[in-house]
Amino acid sequence: MERGLSPLIGHRLLVEQRQNWRFILLASGIVLLLVAYLLPMFPNRITDARTEFSGGTIVEMAFPALIYDQFYIQSKLPRDESLDNVTIQVAPARLGGSGYGWLAQALSAPKLVPVLSFVVCMLVPLAAAAASLALLLLAWSSKFGLVEGLVGIAFSLALVAPFALALSWLHQFDFSGLLLHLEPTYLAPSIGFWIALLATTLILVAMTALHQESEQPMVTWWALVFAVGFVAWLLVKTKPQPYLEIWRFISDGILVTLRIVVVSFVLILLVSLVGGLGRVSKSPVIYGIASLYVELIRGIPLMVQLLFIWFAMPQLFDSIGFFLMNVSPSLNTIGQKLVDLRLSPFTAAVTGLTICYGAYVSEIFRAGISSIHRGQMEAARSLGMSYLQAMRYVILPQAIRVILPPVGNEFVALLKDSSLVSVLAVSDLTRRGREYMARTFLSFETWIMVALCYLVLTLFSSRAVELLESKTRFER
Amino acid sequence: MNASDPDQRVGIIQIRNIHKTFEHGRVVALDDVSLDIFPREVVVIIGPSGSGKSTLLRCINHLETPDSGSIVVDGVPLTDAANINTVRMEVGMVFQQFNLFPHLTVEDNIILAQRVVRKRSRTEAASIARDLLNKVGIPEKADAYPGQISGGQQQRVAIARALAMQPKIMLFDEPTSALDPEMIKEVLDVMRDLAQDGMTMLVVSHEMGFARNAASRIIFMDEGQVIEDTTPDRLFTAPQEQRTRDFLSKILH
Repeated sequence: MERGLSPLIGHRLLVEQRQNWRFILLASGIVLLLVAYLLPMFPNRITDARTEFSGGTIVEMAFPALIYDQFYIQSKLPRDESLDNVTIQVAPARLGGSGYGWLAQALSAPKLVPVLSFVVCMLVPLAAAAASLALLLLAWSSKFGLVEGLVGIAFSLALVAPFALALSWLHQFDFSGLLLHLEPTYLAPSIGFWIALLATTLILVAMTALHQESEQPMVTWWALVFAVGFVAWLLVKTKPQPYLEIWRFISDGILVTLRIVVVSFVLILLVSLVGGLGRVSKSPVIYGIASLYVELIRGIPLMVQLLFIWFAMPQLFDSIGFFLMNVSPSLNTIGQKLVDLRLSPFTAAVTGLTICYGAYVSEIFRAGISSIHRGQMEAARSLGMSYLQAMRYVILPQAIRVILPPVGNEFVALLKDSSLVSVLAVSDLTRRGREYMARTFLSFETWIMVALCYLVLTLFSSRAVELLESKTRFER
Repeated sequence: MNASDPDQRVGIIQIRNIHKTFEHGRVVALDDVSLDIFPREVVVIIGPSGSGKSTLLRCINHLETPDSGSIVVDGVPLTDAANINTVRMEVGMVFQQFNLFPHLTVEDNIILAQRVVRKRSRTEAASIARDLLNKVGIPEKADAYPGQISGGQQQRVAIARALAMQPKIMLFDEPTSALDPEMIKEVLDVMRDLAQDGMTMLVVSHEMGFARNAASRIIFMDEGQVIEDTTPDRLFTAPQEQRTRDFLSKILH
């Protein structure tokens, strides 16, 4: 009967467990991979490429190590010309075309930046093997056992390894199907590649089995960020036209979005503190005003509020201004100021977001303050502290810990809702996307990139919120 | 000292005809209660639950507001909002649930009100805190958090925190009711020492041992009224009212 491993994560393993099939499989995969990199992997390489355009432009490039930038050249056609002809020269790769040989060659290239992604893709399977080897040695040693943190790292690397290997091959012809078609036999991968692929699969199977034993969640935050970043990178790499252009166009929208969100958030916290205190107040007037604010704002959609501030408010100010000027000459200056008042799009956006989210976050503050046991306020008051002193020194410091997680969530929601301010002529991320789409009608490509940008922003924000939560958790 | 002798002393707490109801008059907590507490007295209030003992205590430092009647503490009537904070500086309270501030260390718990209300400097407040921690017997716990110490230790810190304000009167609302039995004595010892030092104390408690040994006066309340108000000796040996006898027979076993 096979002995389970889970009770012994982190503890020394018994002899029978060391011979567990998972470890045997892992060891085989590691050895196989290290050997595979010695065998020929990509036996030939493209040494020169010559691209001819119909208008007479000719681009010729020679590659000391690895081919690069070809796809970009092909896709970034001069406007009035079309691709006429592409020719390449192929020669046997140095050092036998083995995995290690290719690494050595790429690392010694005169310009490292173009070959960097290739180097990374080639190193990932080796890193997976190294992490797995470390895991194995520790597990087999009499001192340690299965180290949980290492299982996570090795598993993540093993998951990525087969894909990295496949990507290495795509680098051989710079992701260009056109170039592959010119010399398919020469550019096909050789036996070293296939054995390496088998090896990474073995390692992956073994690590999956080990990872399941360690009861860690499958999709960690890192895996998600990596997946999103990878998809974005792949898009830009395989189709620089239009993805690289889209990226360059929308990326200044990111800063605008962040500015709006950060400024609004700070103001929201201030408004909500006042609003929350108002909602727990014993004074019927203060409570009434705060409740009116919350109920009113929560009843109107954010979009409508933003449109109101942008379109309706100026008219309102105009009417009030003229009314004041007609009523009495002494109010002339104030009246004139109101008439002349023009909110910038940025100010209107921040105001709208603050007023709207302030209502929702006020309720969070209220709940947080109310959650603090009545006895705390009583103890503080019985010591002679005023209501505000008790709030400041006793209640609010404790309430903050309750309030922080939902407020962090509101920040992430705010990040996404900020896309609504694009209707206000603010040049944020969404607006830049719309502008690009209006010019080129490339709706799918544009919105995929915009969505990925938002996704990365929200993932990082969620992670920051998680870290903040764990730091401020009460040790009881 | 006989509480029923005509008294020439001026009560430090004067309670006159207070009524208190809850839930719009459906629950009567205090029914026309009048009382005088004199300086240096140690008064224990006993009675069944719902008799109004805690409510009476909480009216004295205005945590509850009576519907009618008057309370004068140390010459200050508890009517004005402005007066209340000054009165609370002179009246310390110890709660059944301790109510220590969990986000502050033991020492900071004792220092906070001193700095914020009495405006003492940090060094002065800290030295007073250390003296009081010594007095209640746990000087080594100054840097611990309330969550890290036992219930008995927490209650002693709560007493020290109230004493740091140097009040004239100390109110105790069932101080040992939430404690495990082995920790009750350490808190009662602190209270006994306090009584011997001459503090005016008003204690709501079920600890009959403490009432018998340390109290100078015992009051029995039931259904919002003061039923008996006499010395512990007389109450335990010869209770006058039937209701008192019934209650004592239930709790002395």
